[in-house]
Amino acid sequence: MMAMTQLQSGDRAKIVDLSRVSELVRRRLLDMGVTEGVEVCLKCTMPLGGPFMIESCGQCLGIRRSEAMRIQVERV
Amino acid sequence: MMQIALVGNPNTGKTSLFNQLTGTYEYVGNWSGVTVEKKVGLLRNKQGALIDLPGIYSLNPLSRDESVVTHFLLSEPFEGILNIVDASQLERNLLLTVQLLEFGKPLAIALNMTDVAERRGIFVNEKRLAEKLGVPVVPIVARTGKGCEQLNEQTFAFLQQKITPLQLFYGNVIEKGIERFILLVGDKVDETIPKRWLALQFYEGNRYVHDYLKQRVDAEKLHSLYTEVENELQKQEGVSLAQWIYDQRREYVRDLILHVVERKNVGQVPLTERIDAIVTHKYLGIPLFLLSMYLLFQLTFDWLGAPLSDALDAFFAGPLTDWITAGLAAIGASEFIRSLVVDGIIAGVGGVLVFVPQIFILFFFISFLEDSGYMARVALVMDRLMEAVGLNGKAFIPLVIGFGCNVPGVMAARTIEQPRERLLTMLLTPLMSCSARLPVYALFVGAFFAKHQALVVLSLYVLGVVVALLLAKLFSTTILKNESSVFVVELPPYRMPQWQALWRSTWDKGKGFIRKAGTFIFGGSVAIWLLSYVGPHGVNVEMDESFLAMIGGILAPILVPLGFGTWQAGAALLTGFLAKEVVVSTMNIIYHVPDVESLQGLMVSHFTPLSAFSFMVFVLLYIPCLATVATIRKESGSRKWTLFSMGYAFIVAYLLSFIIYQGGRMLGF
Repeated sequence: MMAMTQLQSGDRAKIVDLSRVSELVRRRLLDMGVTEGVEVCLKCTMPLGGPFMIESCGQCLGIRRSEAMRIQVERV
Repeated sequence: MMQIALVGNPNTGKTSLFNQLTGTYEYVGNWSGVTVEKKVGLLRNKQGALIDLPGIYSLNPLSRDESVVTHFLLSEPFEGILNIVDASQLERNLLLTVQLLEFGKPLAIALNMTDVAERRGIFVNEKRLAEKLGVPVVPIVARTGKGCEQLNEQTFAFLQQKITPLQLFYGNVIEKGIERFILLVGDKVDETIPKRWLALQFYEGNRYVHDYLKQRVDAEKLHSLYTEVENELQKQEGVSLAQWIYDQRREYVRDLILHVVERKNVGQVPLTERIDAIVTHKYLGIPLFLLSMYLLFQLTFDWLGAPLSDALDAFFAGPLTDWITAGLAAIGASEFIRSLVVDGIIAGVGGVLVFVPQIFILFFFISFLEDSGYMARVALVMDRLMEAVGLNGKAFIPLVIGFGCNVPGVMAARTIEQPRERLLTMLLTPLMSCSARLPVYALFVGAFFAKHQALVVLSLYVLGVVVALLLAKLFSTTILKNESSVFVVELPPYRMPQWQALWRSTWDKGKGFIRKAGTFIFGGSVAIWLLSYVGPHGVNVEMDESFLAMIGGILAPILVPLGFGTWQAGAALLTGFLAKEVVVSTMNIIYHVPDVESLQGLMVSHFTPLSAFSFMVFVLLYIPCLATVATIRKESGSRKWTLFSMGYAFIVAYLLSFIIYQGGRMLGF
């Protein structure tokens, strides 16, 4: 288990734990079908500690590094 | 007339479908209570009206934009729901469909983007889906109109058939909770709203449903019921109510998808990912965004817009004025009428109308950015910068839209979830240089900076953005201390915008400008001309003796340190509050010239390049126009913040113009 921020661009991983993510972000992720057990792919990261772009089930979304740090994943 | 609500996830092609199903007739108004645009179109088969609702993921809203749908279901009369579903993102789309089916109104599904789905290897068996859900499902491609004919024929038919609300089993704890809820509310809620649906939304924590219930049912009893059920579920299953209900629905949807979707391996990288590899590239992202903005301004102001505006200006000043003068002479109009029409109306309204081509080009490109899906990438790329000033990347979108017009910019702030970030964005959007300020710049750069037109105009746009960012930092660390800011943005696949849709949204945005020319600016021009025509000593006085000179003269002394302390500038700025382009109308009338070119010749004797630049900076910042002020008032719901938005703008404008003019003089300009 590791934080999403430890992934490299292009890595695929399965989400294990979202409980430390802030309520609002978790709701939004849920809206887009991103929840525990779902596989995601880290597409790219923006420079200077900018947001992460992740892909899940063929759709892309952006979240902040600070939130990605609270998402626990498992490499697949 | 039959009312049908169009509901679906964001970015599923709702607007395309709306355009396909409805004709040109369209009513735009506001929802009662909340200021969100309500778009109603007459169906092409003339048998009903289609109501366009904001895109939502779930009926439990997070932002104000999304709350409109819940509000609609709870309080507006309607006969049926047209649910647009993205075939390539079936799971999350159907999660919403489940909640709509639980509501129990007649419903039809428009299965959109079947082409995109098939390219990804997702094949949806719509017949089986229809069978399973017990509602009609019509596959369509909203962008091209494929299947919309069939949908239009069926929309009327599906409303005739009653459907039984979908009933999922939510486990013993919830089911018991639902029973107790139904007993508690009794007959205190509207009959049209199914109680089971209400109960589920209540347990999910839908704030709007809670508010709705509190007005009708004892709040304390509701609260204790909620906590009891919550604790019971926590004890038995170890999860929150919202999570549990979501999980049950998802299980149902996943099972459904297993039965109706066939997957084939296609194994090709979608175009979207290839484009994203470039535009959201780690280091190329921001430079590419700036480059596209530069191209946008070059196209709007130099390459395309300027020649068109010049041609229009020549037409107004030449043939049109001649024809009208000749026509007035032929019918024997008095000198008063001739002066009113030629010096007042043509100079005032015409001086603004010449910028219609540039404004439409600008709106066209903004619509293009919105429709193509690039705007969401801009939010992603700019988030780091926005975070540094206490906002989030999504706030950048209202700012970009603000370049076209501040009014839709302020309204676009609704998509921001956090109330304080939203308020801050609304306060700062007026600093974006909207297209109405363009005529003012065009006038001055043409006269004083002929060689560097685009560059000087660009510098004003950049100045607006920089001031907005600095103030964001200032406000978010002082008066509007933020709760921790959040940012999640969906990046929809790129789509080549359809010409028809682009034209429609460009026209929607641009027509307000033309209407303004016919109302505000027309009335303003007549009033200004009258004020310049009469004075304390009678009518047809010298301009310097007129009432307008007196009024402008009151302001002039405080403008002296900024480099333009004349009554003419004072009068133009005062009237500019009506709408920024009126500054140009007023100047046209005051300086009594037929066209922009001769006005520019005259300006040289009243301004220096330095004071001209100082004046442009002042016009950029000094106050949001009347329409924007009204929008901020409605959107923020606060008189205090509305006054603040006007006050801070004036102070900042004064300080900056002062520094530019006095600093420039010291440097010897």
